[in-house]
Amino acid sequence: MARAVTTNRKALNTAIAWIIGLLIFFPILWTILTSFKTEAQAINDPPIFLFFDWTLENYSIVQERSNYMKFLWNSVFLAGGSTILGLIIAVPAAWSMAFVPSKRTKDILLWMLSTKMLPAVGVLYPIYLGFIQLGLLDSRVGLVIVLMLINLPIIVWMLYTYFKEIPGEILEAARMDGATLKEELLYILTPMAIPGIASTMLLNFILAWNEAFWTLNLTAVNAAPLTAFIASYSSPEGLFFAKLSAASTMAIAPILILGWFSQKQLVRGLTFGAVK
Amino acid sequence: MQSAPDFKTRLQVWLPKLVLSPSIAMVLVFVYGFILFTVYLSFTDSRILPSYGWVGWENYSKLFRLSHWEIAITNMAIFALLYMVICTVIGLALAIFLDQKIRGEGALRPIYLYPMALSFIVTGTAWKWILDPGIGIENTMHSLGWESFAFDWIKNREYALYTVVLAAVWQTSGFVMAMFLAGLRGIDNEILKAAQMDGASNWNLYRRIIIPQLRPAFLSAFVILAHLAIKTYDLVIALTGGGPGRATELPATFMYSYTFTRNQMGIGAASATIMLMTIAAIMVPYLYAELREKR
Repeated sequence: MARAVTTNRKALNTAIAWIIGLLIFFPILWTILTSFKTEAQAINDPPIFLFFDWTLENYSIVQERSNYMKFLWNSVFLAGGSTILGLIIAVPAAWSMAFVPSKRTKDILLWMLSTKMLPAVGVLYPIYLGFIQLGLLDSRVGLVIVLMLINLPIIVWMLYTYFKEIPGEILEAARMDGATLKEELLYILTPMAIPGIASTMLLNFILAWNEAFWTLNLTAVNAAPLTAFIASYSSPEGLFFAKLSAASTMAIAPILILGWFSQKQLVRGLTFGAVK
Repeated sequence: MQSAPDFKTRLQVWLPKLVLSPSIAMVLVFVYGFILFTVYLSFTDSRILPSYGWVGWENYSKLFRLSHWEIAITNMAIFALLYMVICTVIGLALAIFLDQKIRGEGALRPIYLYPMALSFIVTGTAWKWILDPGIGIENTMHSLGWESFAFDWIKNREYALYTVVLAAVWQTSGFVMAMFLAGLRGIDNEILKAAQMDGASNWNLYRRIIIPQLRPAFLSAFVILAHLAIKTYDLVIALTGGGPGRATELPATFMYSYTFTRNQMGIGAASATIMLMTIAAIMVPYLYAELREKR
């Protein structure tokens, strides 16, 4: 909406918008700052904003005491593994719906997507009981499968919308020239689909990285990712804010960076397509 | 060589259906199959382990006699109402504001969205600091000289639930803003220009033209916020653990504690079934309307 806005007004609006942005960002900023303070400074009265003795000791203590690297590796393994597994199953499905649509394609998509809104507690028992039976509790493989399953509808749907954006004329032209299905896939679709697949991977990685319900309920020690680690860290350690902040900062750093580059995909995926 | 092309054409027809079926089958079994199992459990005498003795509606009548569950659903009603209304108001206000040609909008949008993109288990760390009366906002105000300032909601049974609302609003407002902003950007410029020519004031422009055109955005925001509210789990776990007492207990945390600490699987399943039905009651009409629109 292009409306005439005076320069002063614009400067004021910009200033207010950034102040709101700072307010929203404050809890995150505070976590990062606190992670560089000593425990005493972290709960100092009055609070110290910037002028404290910056230290890295929290990071080394967290690593020493809790084997942080293991939790980090679990997070990477779970988020990465479930994303890749999900893509293997979803890419063909999305390809099929986008390029060989049937009467019911729209219904199937919407139906799939709707399942993502249902609460996780609805499927907790069968999964929990199945995990006990199969000895999958606290195993990375089990969690990769569960995380893949809960995000599969989103992956299929997102890939579908990206594949839909590939112009059909190109395919028709290739078919006219006698391209086989294999050539069509290899030389035309794949190169055009890669950006969409990359965006989907990014979104799904973030969703799986943040997942708390399943990781808290199905892991204990071996397969616990960073979210479970932070949740456990906050209770026995009481109010050790500096160390907790260091652990938290390490857990959010990858998402802060990924989120910066993928905000559009994030909104698109999180709103179930209400926002493109 | 007669059969080779035949096989190929048949493959061309069947392949799309074949590669689609694993996804459909997985969603069907994993979501609907498992939900049916949960619903079934809610009619059995399962306790620590599933058991298949049929007890009819007994778990439901037990559930609704529990004061613990009554607290959880009362909290849910208060939480959901406040959360949805405040998020919608703030989200819409932010969207209208950000639509006024703000410098650096591209950099602001991810910042507004970060709370939603980060796990609350992790961002809850800072909230615990902010809300703790001994060190957070209350203490900061005291050291700035405002001695009478009091903000101890998180330790107060009466107000602890509102801290969960506060954190939830922080987490989702920027995201609701993004939805409304997309809606605003989709409005036809010509209509606005015509209205401005006719001398419509800014206020009237929004009230009579822009906001009515945002109806689809309001509808999606409502459905998304409603299902997020009912699913709320990690906020409570990270902030209050359901306490003090049961002041911030919600259905999802209730279900968890009844199953895993009290070994009452039947009652837990009944509570899960009620949550499922509530979400379905909101979602089904919405999906139905969406499908009809697309036809």
